Amino acid sequence: MAKLDEFPTGERRIVQVGQRTIGVFRVGDRFYAMNNYCPHMGGPLCEGRTKPWLSSAAPGEFVLDEQEALVACPWHGWEYDLATGQSFLGPGEPPARAYEVTVERGTPERIAGGRNGRRPGPYVAETFPVHVEDSYVVVDTSSRPVAAGAAGGER
Amino acid sequence: MHCAPAALGDLSQYLEPYWRTYVHDGGVHLNPTQGGAYPPVVLTGATPASVEDLRTELLDPAGLRTAILNCTASFHCNRNPYYEAALTSAINDWLVGEWLPRDDRLRASMVVPTLDADAAVAEIERVGGHPGIVQVLLPVRTDVPWGNKRNHRLLAAAAEHGLVVGLHAWGRVGNAATPTGFTHSYLEDYLSNSQMIVQAQVTSLVTEGVFTRVPGLRVALLECGFSWLPTLLWRFDKDWKGVWREVPWLDGRPSEVVRRHIRLTTAPAHLPRDPAQVRQALDLLDLGALLMYASDHPHVHGDGGDRLLAALTEAERERVTGRNAEEWYGLA
Amino acid sequence: MTSAVPRTRKSAPVRVARTIVDADIHPHAPVTSIRPRLPQEHRERWDLFASRVPGPPEIYPRVRNSGFRLDSWPATGAPGSDLQMVRDQLLDEFDIDHGVLIPLQGHQWGAEEPRYSAALCRALNDWQAEEWLAQEPRLRGSVTISIEAPDLAAEEIRRRADDPRFVQVLLSTGGELGFGRRRYWPIYEAAAEAGLPVAAHTGGLEQHRGAGWPSFYLEEHVWNGNTMAALMMSLLTEGVFAEYPELQVICVEGGIAWAGPLMWALDDSWAQLRADVPHLTRPPSEYVRDHFWFTTQPIEEPDDPADLATALDHTGLGDRIMFASDYPHWDFDSPRHAPRLFPAALREAVMGANACRLFGLPEREVTA
Repeated sequence: MAKLDEFPTGERRIVQVGQRTIGVFRVGDRFYAMNNYCPHMGGPLCEGRTKPWLSSAAPGEFVLDEQEALVACPWHGWEYDLATGQSFLGPGEPPARAYEVTVERGTPERIAGGRNGRRPGPYVAETFPVHVEDSYVVVDTSSRPVAAGAAGGER
Repeated sequence: MHCAPAALGDLSQYLEPYWRTYVHDGGVHLNPTQGGAYPPVVLTGATPASVEDLRTELLDPAGLRTAILNCTASFHCNRNPYYEAALTSAINDWLVGEWLPRDDRLRASMVVPTLDADAAVAEIERVGGHPGIVQVLLPVRTDVPWGNKRNHRLLAAAAEHGLVVGLHAWGRVGNAATPTGFTHSYLEDYLSNSQMIVQAQVTSLVTEGVFTRVPGLRVALLECGFSWLPTLLWRFDKDWKGVWREVPWLDGRPSEVVRRHIRLTTAPAHLPRDPAQVRQALDLLDLGALLMYASDHPHVHGDGGDRLLAALTEAERERVTGRNAEEWYGLA
Repeated sequence: MTSAVPRTRKSAPVRVARTIVDADIHPHAPVTSIRPRLPQEHRERWDLFASRVPGPPEIYPRVRNSGFRLDSWPATGAPGSDLQMVRDQLLDEFDIDHGVLIPLQGHQWGAEEPRYSAALCRALNDWQAEEWLAQEPRLRGSVTISIEAPDLAAEEIRRRADDPRFVQVLLSTGGELGFGRRRYWPIYEAAAEAGLPVAAHTGGLEQHRGAGWPSFYLEEHVWNGNTMAALMMSLLTEGVFAEYPELQVICVEGGIAWAGPLMWALDDSWAQLRADVPHLTRPPSEYVRDHFWFTTQPIEEPDDPADLATALDHTGLGDRIMFASDYPHWDFDSPRHAPRLFPAALREAVMGANACRLFGLPEREVTA
């Protein structure tokens, strides 16, 4: 979809692939690809701002990660993990279910139940594997069995 | 249930000489209607009671195991912060001296100055350890919401002493009921406690992070209704999902924080007329687990309380009329 | 963001209702469109100050993308200032039949010095009529008024009364006094006379009294529902509906589900306090069901949508709820996705039929 040296870190490209549009993000040396569609309200997810994780142990304390790891939908701001598409702020998260182990597609950290104390929401944005081939950034949208660690290709 | 001194004279022996002259020279008095909160001819109005009255009117006939006395007479205090501290101390000494020793079934809420958190902390340290004191009583009408940072040390002190923080209807008359000011009707003034003001306090306590800072803090909402809570929490949870980065210490859904830290009393029980709808209203939030019975004696709020009790299951009634409060206040 | 976004239609959407009306769209008048429409005597003040009345975002910054959909900013100007963009992102995208414009600049301008306020609101209404309503037949307008100068507001309402493109009078929830006070009655008199509903949209003068000022936008935004409850109680207890029995009021952007518990509280208290409100000769909930309408966004969202159905059933207001997207604000409700949360039995009416009935707009023709 692009030449590596024309795709600096911090940038994104939104490309048309068949029927859908896909956002490809470069964060540091990592690439991520996500369907440009927010499963919450149908917003153009990949036009949103990317965000680092933020945590706080007490009112007035703000600990911002250095690396951006989430994309916030440009409409409601619901945030999705760039690597896995997992939402951590969706509705309908019955507390009892947070600790259930379910079998679903995605990476182990997605299923493990939360991040910074947050529970995963029901929504998962669609992600795609990205890798670098001969100085080109390649997004693989072929149908695939999604394996653990498939998303978020390392340079 | 309520009690109140009939007049400031009842508190004279608990006031320092300077404050006795201040009261006398200034014509300072305890407003008998608490600034219009309890007009005596209105059914929701207050009648001060004695221990003997309470026994014959309520404790004996209702077969109560335990009753918590709430004296709100200092809520409508003038704005002199030192007088407010003296008045609240006098009321606490009066409760400890003249009410608690006279009936084993009685417990009491202490009051604290609302304009000076340091003085409030000192008062909690002075009387909060008394075994008959189970709660710190605060008015819902305030200059600054109770969740605000400047109140955290007051709330922390209450939790450290094992006391519940009780937010009770009304406050200073100068804290107008509505965002657009004072009201002409008592009905509007009265309903503002439940329909607006206490809801702002719940939102404040949860949003501003005091439960993160003080995980042991327990709050009770008194005489502020409860049927408004489910829909408020739906609104609150929804907004949190979009703007949580403003308040990252709020790391779970607001409704879960409320469930962990807040209980509500049953009077006034503003509920539908249709019993089936009453049941539905209770099921929107499993209110049987969150409600604590209150007679609000001698105030009368209509027959909603009867509709509530009729709609509860046997197990819920046991919780609402006893166990929920016993657990919250550590009475068992 | 560096790359252009390909704009392609998604697969043919399923239409959720025959007629779709959006009862809350926010256009924004560019300053350059207002100045030429002001009389000379007010231009100097405009040049010096524009408006000095603080909007709520001055106090509680909209922490999510300045309060707007991030994709709603035109190349120049503010979100909602470009009609073509509103067509692209809203009217065409969701095949909307009718949309009602609510220019929120009226909230601040309506509280300026009375004569200046009246001139600003008149200019804003002229701008709506000339730049939007004349250009786009799917749109309808709101008469913005000098809220705190009700006599001048009534003049403006009467000026627009014969223009069918204006379908409501715009009020805020934050006024100098409770909106039931007699001082505001000339607004209601003129609206009732013109057959126009009064739409109270959250916002306006930001004041926190009973509990004091909160610290965060999250608190302020949750509290919007309570300001609407305050407005409703004020209109009821001050006797506005006894005086203007035809008056209809729309609660815009304050939620809905709280209205049930409020009606229970009103009815129980009224039974005890009738002497306090002698003009309420029936239980207050009956006045609510006769006089109030609601828009959906931001409708309450319980975990189980069945709970919302229960709560709306408790209000008894299902035939008085109208869909609203709140475009271009950050918490925009998509006409395609949001209706999934609405009770199925109400969906068709909420998406369009209720609004058509209130505003006298035609429903979409059924093609057999």
